[in-house]
Amino acid sequence: MLDATLQAWLHTQLFEQVPVSIAIIDRNFVIVEHNRNFEELFGPGRGKKCHTVYKKQAGSCDACMAALSFQDGKVRVNDELGVDRNGHPAHYLVHMIPIVTPQGDIPYIIEMSTDITEIKRLQREYQVLFEKVPCYIAVLNRDYRIVKANELMRETFGATTGQYCWEVFKRRADRCEECPAELAFADGQTHVCEQEGINKQGEKTHYVVHAAPLSRTEEAVTHVMEMAVDVTRIYQLEQEKLEAERLAAVGQTVAGLAHGIKNILTGLHGGMYIFKSGLDRGDQGRIQQGWQMLDRNIEKISTLTRNLLSFSKGRVPEIQMVRPSDIVREVVELYRDAARQQEVELRAEIDSQMAPAPFDPEGLHTCLANLVANAIDACQMSERPSCAVTVRCREENEVILLEVEDQGCGMDYDIKQKVFTNFFTTKGEGGTGIGLLLTRKIIQEHGGKLEVDSSPGKGSLFRMIFPRSRLPKPAPRPESPPDPEAHPSEAKRQG
Amino acid sequence: MEKTEKKRVLVVEDDEDVITYLSLWLSDQGFDVDVARDGNEATEKVKQRPPDLVTLDIVMPQKTGVKFYKEFKRDPRYAHIPVIIITGLQQEFKRFISHRRTAPPPEGYIAKPFSQEELLETIQRVLGEGAGQACGQKKGNCA
Repeated sequence: MLDATLQAWLHTQLFEQVPVSIAIIDRNFVIVEHNRNFEELFGPGRGKKCHTVYKKQAGSCDACMAALSFQDGKVRVNDELGVDRNGHPAHYLVHMIPIVTPQGDIPYIIEMSTDITEIKRLQREYQVLFEKVPCYIAVLNRDYRIVKANELMRETFGATTGQYCWEVFKRRADRCEECPAELAFADGQTHVCEQEGINKQGEKTHYVVHAAPLSRTEEAVTHVMEMAVDVTRIYQLEQEKLEAERLAAVGQTVAGLAHGIKNILTGLHGGMYIFKSGLDRGDQGRIQQGWQMLDRNIEKISTLTRNLLSFSKGRVPEIQMVRPSDIVREVVELYRDAARQQEVELRAEIDSQMAPAPFDPEGLHTCLANLVANAIDACQMSERPSCAVTVRCREENEVILLEVEDQGCGMDYDIKQKVFTNFFTTKGEGGTGIGLLLTRKIIQEHGGKLEVDSSPGKGSLFRMIFPRSRLPKPAPRPESPPDPEAHPSEAKRQG
Repeated sequence: MEKTEKKRVLVVEDDEDVITYLSLWLSDQGFDVDVARDGNEATEKVKQRPPDLVTLDIVMPQKTGVKFYKEFKRDPRYAHIPVIIITGLQQEFKRFISHRRTAPPPEGYIAKPFSQEELLETIQRVLGEGAGQACGQKKGNCA
């Protein structure tokens, strides 16, 4: 009973209900029957030549697949572009199935067409997106060969398909040490990193690359898509900013030097006055005193000049494996008494678990000492009844952070930059104002940077940031293993 | 010449050469001079015998000139005593110290290296025309 019902349904309904367009054509390429779906897509077609219905053209098609199937009896599948009943282009995928009689004749072919116009449109959009997106896109296979690259990638790095990614991105002969694609292949996750490449003009290119795994199944990653944003301009701006900061530091140093020179000039004026007044009065004691003062201040300016020259030449950093926390402790101990005398509480918050890292211990000591001295001086200007300086040492995500925070004065940042640093770092053995410049220089030599956060009334936070990946390599010391307990020599306070 | 009591100047300064220069020059101008080498010593000297005028350096060890100045000007016993700041610092510092809410601006501000005329003029403006004329001169030195 059920079989009969089902058979009746198949006989009467299936042809109309299937969600594809079906047409049956005879050997003259005339449509002898079609279903409703066909009519909705291409319009009515019974008794008409197939090409007039599918493609709205008078003549037969150049490469007629149906003709071939009438000849050899084979099933064919083809991607066709036709015209729908409204005159719009229609992409359809057509299956051509010959109907073969027991005698072996082929009187008809059934053509079953699926409308893929929407899929084609999405493909075109995807293609435009892929080609025109303003970043580099390369699809890599498991051999790290580029199988597809977008327009900007081709324009920037030249012909790419089939080549190894390292050849194209970096003009290298072998694989890169740091490869985000390798990581994406391994764990199926997206990996991001910053890279330096060389474009087809041979210029350095900086880009941030996202390597995303591609796979058709849930299992193995077959390809990785590398999408890279060019940050060369940003990188250049960063470099220019660094240079501007360096120049600003030089400017501050010059201001500091001017202050030192003014003191010496005052001494020279004084020496002149005393010498001259001694001559006028015939006072040998005054003449002697004035002469000595002139002599002393000429010596001071000679020392200042020598120090400046030695700074401009610079000392060679001696890199060794040290625990930054040890150096922080040393500096805190060195300044504890000085701080107490000035009624400043000096605190240390040290992560003792930090692993040794390659530093020039003397250089790092100098940086910390300068910042701590400045912070103590800042407290002198504070409105608070009590004031504390906190030195912190910790590590976050392979980045070593050394901080000196004070609860110093309520000056705004501008004044602090212009006056405070010059002023309070200028005193001492001809080291006028060199402290700040030296601090920045040493930090830069370690691949790090110095950040300053200052808000009126709350104090200042100086943060030295040293990513481990950018620290210099320790000098080889074959005669003895690296000594994490090494103690740097004391650096003199420049404040 | 009518004998008048000499005005007393407290020179607060840590640079020995500047101390010698200022002391001799001020003496030559007819002032009594006392010296303090940092803010703490200056506080003590003021307690012992308040001066008629203070010349104050800013950068000093122990207690700086700024801290001394704030305490000095807040103390009603000494607030009336004029202070001339003598420092190598630039205009920014002058602005800074002039805008402090916790203390009034100093009576005088002289940048190093100072000229004797400028210093004498400032002193006379602060203490009155008669000051610094021990040698019968209005300006210049007695040397």
